[in-house]
Amino acid sequence: MTQNFQNASCMVSRREFLFASALTVSTVMLPFSGFATSNQQAMAKVGTYPRRFIARLEDLKEHQPIVFEFPDSGPYASNILVKLGRPAGGGIGSDQDIVAFNLTCTHRGGSLAATYKPENASLGPCPLHLSSFDMTRHGIMITGMATESLPQILLDLEDGNIFAGGVLGLIYGHHIE
Amino acid sequence: MSAEKKQIETVPLPPKSAEIITTACDYCIVACGYKVYRWPTTAKEGGPAAKDNALGVDFPVAPLGPSVSPNKHTVVQHRGKPHHVLILADQDTDVVNVGGDYSALGGTLAKKCYREDGPTKDRLQEPLLRVNGRLTPVSWNFALDVAAEVGLHVVMKHGAHAFGMKTFSYQYIENTYAITKFAFLHLQTPNFSLHDTPADVTSTPGFRDAGFDNFAPSYEDWRDAETLLICGTDPYETKNIMFTQWIMPGIQRGQKTIMMVPRKTAGVAYAEANGGMWLDPIPGTDLLVVNAIARIIVENQWEDQEWIRQWVNNQWGSSSGFGQGTRNTPWQWRTTWGKFQTRGFQEWKDWLLNQPEFHLDYASKLSGVDPKKIRTAAEWMAKPKADGRRTKTSIMIEKGFYWSNNTGNTNAIASLAIIVGAGGRPGQMIGRAGGHQRGMVRGGKYPRNLSPEKLPGRRRRSLDVDRYFISGHTRLAYVIGTPWLQSSCGSYQLRDKFEELVTRNPNQVISTDKTKVIETLKKRVDSGGTVVFNQDIYLVDPIGSQFADLIFPAATWGEESFMRANGERRLRLYNKFYDPPGQAKPDWWIVANIAERMGFPGFDWHSSSEVAEEAARFSRGSRKDFYMVKVAAGQEGKSLHQKMNEFGTTGIQGPVLMHDDGRLEGTKRLHDVNRVLPKTGPAGANRFNKKLTAFNSQTGKLNLQKSPWDLFSDYWHWLSPKDDELWFTSGRLKERWQSGFDDKRKAILHQRFPENIVEIHPADAKTRGIESGDYVEVYSDRVPGHKTTLLGVEAKDFQFSELLKNGHIELTRASVKAVAHVTPAIKQNVLYMDFLRTDQPANALAGRVPDWISGNYNYKMGVARIRKTGESPHKHTFDFFSFARRDLA
Repeated sequence: MTQNFQNASCMVSRREFLFASALTVSTVMLPFSGFATSNQQAMAKVGTYPRRFIARLEDLKEHQPIVFEFPDSGPYASNILVKLGRPAGGGIGSDQDIVAFNLTCTHRGGSLAATYKPENASLGPCPLHLSSFDMTRHGIMITGMATESLPQILLDLEDGNIFAGGVLGLIYGHHIE
Repeated sequence: MSAEKKQIETVPLPPKSAEIITTACDYCIVACGYKVYRWPTTAKEGGPAAKDNALGVDFPVAPLGPSVSPNKHTVVQHRGKPHHVLILADQDTDVVNVGGDYSALGGTLAKKCYREDGPTKDRLQEPLLRVNGRLTPVSWNFALDVAAEVGLHVVMKHGAHAFGMKTFSYQYIENTYAITKFAFLHLQTPNFSLHDTPADVTSTPGFRDAGFDNFAPSYEDWRDAETLLICGTDPYETKNIMFTQWIMPGIQRGQKTIMMVPRKTAGVAYAEANGGMWLDPIPGTDLLVVNAIARIIVENQWEDQEWIRQWVNNQWGSSSGFGQGTRNTPWQWRTTWGKFQTRGFQEWKDWLLNQPEFHLDYASKLSGVDPKKIRTAAEWMAKPKADGRRTKTSIMIEKGFYWSNNTGNTNAIASLAIIVGAGGRPGQMIGRAGGHQRGMVRGGKYPRNLSPEKLPGRRRRSLDVDRYFISGHTRLAYVIGTPWLQSSCGSYQLRDKFEELVTRNPNQVISTDKTKVIETLKKRVDSGGTVVFNQDIYLVDPIGSQFADLIFPAATWGEESFMRANGERRLRLYNKFYDPPGQAKPDWWIVANIAERMGFPGFDWHSSSEVAEEAARFSRGSRKDFYMVKVAAGQEGKSLHQKMNEFGTTGIQGPVLMHDDGRLEGTKRLHDVNRVLPKTGPAGANRFNKKLTAFNSQTGKLNLQKSPWDLFSDYWHWLSPKDDELWFTSGRLKERWQSGFDDKRKAILHQRFPENIVEIHPADAKTRGIESGDYVEVYSDRVPGHKTTLLGVEAKDFQFSELLKNGHIELTRASVKAVAHVTPAIKQNVLYMDFLRTDQPANALAGRVPDWISGNYNYKMGVARIRKTGESPHKHTFDFFSFARRDLA
């Protein structure tokens, strides 16, 4: 299920349709405050999938990422699980510092594997066009070219086991979550 | 978990039947090519297989493919019917954004479009009149009648000078042509300036006087330079694709890229990590660094002697053309004043070597730039290689540089370019990077002889409209597509005067009776007050929301077809693809209707293309000369827009020439000394401007000019931080490039910077107890403003220290709120803010003292104190902002 971080690769020329089956979409009403001209609630959709075991909590060491595939297997499905050592949006664990993100740059599909910067809690710069993403803030772009944040993998913690259960955001190359 | 900004939705794919419309990005100078895929919402959507969608690709798409995302899609009204549009960078282009690269700005163009159910729903849709303090909808006829009658009254009773105009310079050729035809040909008002200058003056006086065009290079020249000096900008931050498609490939081929800017962003970090170098000058000291580099070059005789011999004016060339006629142009008075002009290389060199401030030690001390780096820069730029071959060096400048010491910096850099052999050959060019796109064609000439502003020596200068307004002379302010106040230095002085002249004047409209409205506004004008017209796409605070008496809703990108050029003079047609909201009209239509009602002839256009066709003649001889495109269109029985549309996203680079067989040829670079034009000269309506193969000077050769530090140093030393002050400067943030029109209505961009920020160095933050995420007040009681005087008699009258001594400098207080971002990316002792947020305008802290030689603002110069006022909610929550470092490679 997990694989060595350095071996991950997302760069492919073509691949089969990623989310062929087993997909459910839950619609969540979320407050969309702070937005200049709109106080209305926005519909946010989160793709949820059959839960998948990723790692045991006790095996996860600070700043030592684990790369895993989700929600399917294949290049764009490569994700990173990290204990950041600082609290993060969507973080799990007693310190709320365990997060997971997809490793494909949302700009043009470059691989963010091996770009984790522990001191900055960031992924990037992408080797293609230098976008980087903040892992403490739901994958918001720190600087760069992308039109979407980096998809965050929704995590669950149960009996010391970490599970992936959903994807927050559209993974590069797709048109449907 | 909190996930409100992570909306996902299915992105509909265009069916095979989708229409494809070409355009270019609305935003930065680079103007990437885009394709709009449009299909009715009632049509069947495309499928994920290549055979089932208009993109012709299988989903999921490959890296670098035409990927879609929610922010690239919207629904618009087209001929009254809802249509899907997917706006994607042109995957097939081999110019500008090669292979379909795009930025976070252009990539989200779809979200710019008006939608009644989205964040753009507050577009202005009908003319508004302020009645009892409230903006009230009125008809176009009503609004235009009032505007014309009040406008005519101002001109007849108070003179054209009292009719002030402040307008964008860039928002499409058709619009700027109509605006300037109205202002210059008919009104003939000198009370006119563009969105980013206090007066109608050049951005780069030193370039102009040396003979360099601002936009001579082609983008491939930035790639092909072996050494590239970039001053006052990080193109990755502000002109993304210019960096990723043209500079990054250069760096990957071994280009040595030197970035001179006090703030390190991702492009600087990339250059530095890949064999380049970061020079980090204190604001305003660039001239010293540039001349220290030049000094090292000439001390070592590394200058390009052959280029100088061939292309630099000697004493005869320098004086050629002078001594006859009026010396009443800025160019003539600057070059003949004795402060700048030289008799050629030897005199310039002697002068340079005799200025102690250009010694490496002094320049390094004041600028705070490591002397070793200055020496290395000189070597990279000019030291001949082991085999004797010269390095191909190019120089790019932008506002961080030319808005710090406008005349001095641009003079110094032009001279440095000349001695390293840059200016007229592939990979050896100098130019501006650019800000907005180039959309100005003037329909008349600025009436400088009518300007009341006079420099010492009886030379007239374009009127400082801000100072004129603050002095209370403007009776009518017609403001088009700019917030004006926040985009001027010393913003609060202007705001206070607007409040006095507009809001607090007793003559306020209290009914919608047209006669009474006109009567009231005339009374306001006659009582010394000011009437304000504002024309824009959104209601802007405060110029629209608080001060405007009349508001005209404008149609914009995608809502009308327009023409414009990018930073390599590439002209494209920006096609209309959806209906403008409500009754919004293109700017040219609004201006034309006011002009006609005022009795001015020649505004009876029926289409945007008709305006462009008229403007074509006025583009002749300019860098974006497209007259021959119009000639070709005429020969082929097409409109100009139809002809331009044939060029698609590739467009054509101006100036455009026509061959005998009717074929059109663009111009890759200006000053192209290797270009061979037909020996028989220009045929037909072609025009061969000197700058095609030589330079913009009296002889076609370059003027090597001095750049004295002491014309500016008194201001710099006076301004330098006292006590706990820090230098204060500002610029664009990548995600906020558009400075609050579209970007605050795009969730993905707004969440990144929902409030203004101030970048502060960790050492400066620590002593003040400031952490990232804190709310801070950035304030100063030393914001200097040049007020009242328009007349200089003695040579030094406009020099800062003289103005101060003679009581023409007013010190005011300004304060803006921001969220602190503590980062080593900003130089110690310097603060950096987003330059233009209408709610917290950084320019309020910038000294309102125009460069006294050029008349332009030095926006980047200011000082401020900073103190913590509390913690922002973003310090401990995770939904907005990022305080991560942006300067990592």
